[in-house]
Amino acid sequence: MIRRRRTSLRPFDAGGRRVIVAIFLTFAAMAGLTFFLTLSATGRLRDRGTLVELAARQRTLAERYLSEVLLRRSGEQADPAAIAAILDESTQALLEGGTAPGVNGDDDETAVSAARGNELRRQLREEAALVSDLTANGEAVLSRAPVSTLPSSGHEHIVTSDPVQRLRVVTALTSAVALNVARTIADSADAGVSSLVVTQVGLIIGGLVVSLLLAAGLIAITRRQTIHFRTLAQSSTDLVAVIGEDGCRYASRSLAAKTGRPEGELLGEGLERFVHEDDRVVLANAASTGEPSAFTFRLRDAAGTWRHLEARATDLRSDRQLRGIVINARDATDRLQLERELSTQAQRDGFASQLSEALEMADEEQEVFDVVERAMLDISEATPMELLLSDSSRANLRRAATHPSAGAPSCPVKSPFSCVAVRRGSAVVFDTSTALNSCPQLRDRPVGACSAVCVPISFMGRSLGVLHTTGPDASPLGSDAVARLSTLASQAGARIGTVRAFEKTQLQASTDGLTGLSNRRTIESQAREVLREGRSFAFVIADLDRFKALNDTHGHEAGDRALRLFAQVTEQAIRDDDLLGRWGGEEFVLVLPDLDRFGALSLLDRLRARLAAAHPGETARFTASFGVADSTQAGTIDEIVKIADMGLYAAKAGGRDRAKIGEPPPATNGAGGDSGDQAEPGEKPPSEPGSRRQRGRATPSLHRAALEEEPPSSGVQIR
Amino acid sequence: MHFSLSAKPLPALTWALSGLLAVAGLAASGCGKGGHTAKSTAEVSISETDFHIAAPTQVKAGNVVLRVSNKGPDRHELIVVRSDGGALPLRSDGLTVDEEAVEKREAGALEPGSPGGHRELAVNLAPGRYVFMCNMEGHYMSGMHRELVVTQ
Repeated sequence: MIRRRRTSLRPFDAGGRRVIVAIFLTFAAMAGLTFFLTLSATGRLRDRGTLVELAARQRTLAERYLSEVLLRRSGEQADPAAIAAILDESTQALLEGGTAPGVNGDDDETAVSAARGNELRRQLREEAALVSDLTANGEAVLSRAPVSTLPSSGHEHIVTSDPVQRLRVVTALTSAVALNVARTIADSADAGVSSLVVTQVGLIIGGLVVSLLLAAGLIAITRRQTIHFRTLAQSSTDLVAVIGEDGCRYASRSLAAKTGRPEGELLGEGLERFVHEDDRVVLANAASTGEPSAFTFRLRDAAGTWRHLEARATDLRSDRQLRGIVINARDATDRLQLERELSTQAQRDGFASQLSEALEMADEEQEVFDVVERAMLDISEATPMELLLSDSSRANLRRAATHPSAGAPSCPVKSPFSCVAVRRGSAVVFDTSTALNSCPQLRDRPVGACSAVCVPISFMGRSLGVLHTTGPDASPLGSDAVARLSTLASQAGARIGTVRAFEKTQLQASTDGLTGLSNRRTIESQAREVLREGRSFAFVIADLDRFKALNDTHGHEAGDRALRLFAQVTEQAIRDDDLLGRWGGEEFVLVLPDLDRFGALSLLDRLRARLAAAHPGETARFTASFGVADSTQAGTIDEIVKIADMGLYAAKAGGRDRAKIGEPPPATNGAGGDSGDQAEPGEKPPSEPGSRRQRGRATPSLHRAALEEEPPSSGVQIR
Repeated sequence: MHFSLSAKPLPALTWALSGLLAVAGLAASGCGKGGHTAKSTAEVSISETDFHIAAPTQVKAGNVVLRVSNKGPDRHELIVVRSDGGALPLRSDGLTVDEEAVEKREAGALEPGSPGGHRELAVNLAPGRYVFMCNMEGHYMSGMHRELVVTQ
């Protein structure tokens, strides 16, 4: 009934039940067998009693036969032949089975079965032989027949010739063998009883052994199932806790491993200490009511980091073994992290493609800077940021873009070569400016200690500048923002490089070949730029006096030299930021940032002095007239040009070699009057250059007003 | 382990138990036997049946071990009596030898034994004549006696 079980994992095997049934069956079989054996043995013993009685009776009958023969011999009434018949029939019945006759006045007939057992049958055969010898001897005694003819079928060798003596010996032999038969039958009954006892003891011992073996098998099966279940439960990575009314009642080994604490420390209120404060309520709800059945909570692991667990609550309070709510949790931190990274990646990709499209639409550097500023806002709303670009000499860094709402961190770095990020050519993140290895430019900022991120900007391997941000101390921008900054830096660098290369080609096309100055289109665009920046500036139109006459008198060579000299002298007279361009013919334009028209007048005074002092060399001396306007007088370049034009007209009209401020035309002002009347003959009419100037050209009243404002000046006379 | 309702286990268990007893008995008798075999004794085989004793007619004097087997079918005893030349005296019933009368001449005796049994009787025999007999009721008279000559 116990067979070798397969060693496969069968945690739900119901083999134990079969073993219990087998134990019961074994006991039932033992009990049944014992009962049956006892019953049959009892029956046999009763039969044996009858047999013993019958066998013992033979001994008495043999003695009686002797006495009957002797009585008969002495003439008494007796019937030895009847006794002999009973003796013989009884012996035959005992040996072969049948009915033993009754004895008169003694007992009834007895039915017996054939004798079994070799010894008993041999004894009975001997008895039968002796009984026949006995009968023969008895008859011989009665008939006085000679003894020598008597049979000796029982192998007796009786030497005496006295027939009575012979009869007595045979009677003794018969009596002895009858006794032996009775003893043998009784002995076999005894043996039956003792063998019954032995059998029953054996049955009891065997039953016990079988039951013990079965029980051992049952224990082994149960233990194996327990081990299987325990192994399954322990090898599971799921975190399992059973929470009852008295707190945590079971914490799985995986939970202990996760928190790095022994299971015992998690029991009771112990588990709560590892749960994030904000999540304790939801866990407590789930653990007391089973709702919500699915939730997430944070658990501090052995390393002290928060793990995000996805948990499931199963209400087993009615289960008598568990009496609690089972919390099954699984660490989802890595999955959530991956999801976050994927979505961040997607956002970054979105940012990169948007940025790329925006930059594509920026044709000029300034437009690129505008895009950069908007992108700064996208990256972080409250982090100060700036774009510092090196100038054409590549020796100075200038701020090109500033975070629209958070402003510029104002890095004091002067030269690109002083910037760590530029030198390294890779993004640098400083956690805190107080660290020993932080950038020196971060120290002593007005905001105090701070963190910073600096991303270099380059194009075709040439450094262009740096994108710089600062943040709270010890809390630099996240890796996402840094990644976006890097994207911005590389894309802006590429775009700035492209735009600059494009502008350079354009510059070559927009430079005046003779003087090397910007041509009219360029200076106009530059002026627009200054206006758009919102800087105040003065605008001056210069015109060489009597240039036509100079040309005619000294030839075009002299005229060209005069133009070049004017450009040269003017360039030296103006400031670095000031812009100078050739407007066309003998006309030039100056854009003077951060100056108003009056400031421009004094600058022009110095310029005229320089012109006067300039050694013309082979060139004839010449003077120039100037019309002045500024950005406060009008909102568009066209208007400003018109006003300056009027100033020029006034200057010419006032006698040349002077500067006049133009006045904007009043709205009611009509055209008319004596236009051109103050122009000298041979002089280029002031209306000539640019159709733009046509409308406001001749306003005599204005001209006059200009003349009145004319400051005293010493002209440079053309000789 | 298989347990059937057949009667097989019964003799098996009986054998096992009797086997255990036999081992114990052999161990016990082995000790005694060791003492005997040390003195070089003669051995004589005697076989008893109804109603006859088969035995050698001559044996050397000294310690003799009689190995007696009863071949049955009846129980028999073996009594060794030194013969004085005449017949053994009978009891007053005329059927059995008067054992009390020959007690002083008796060299040894085995009580009645079951048919099929084997027994040993150690006797010390002096030179002369001896009689083996079974003195159960009528057995002597039926021929269960045999003469033995013990030589020097």
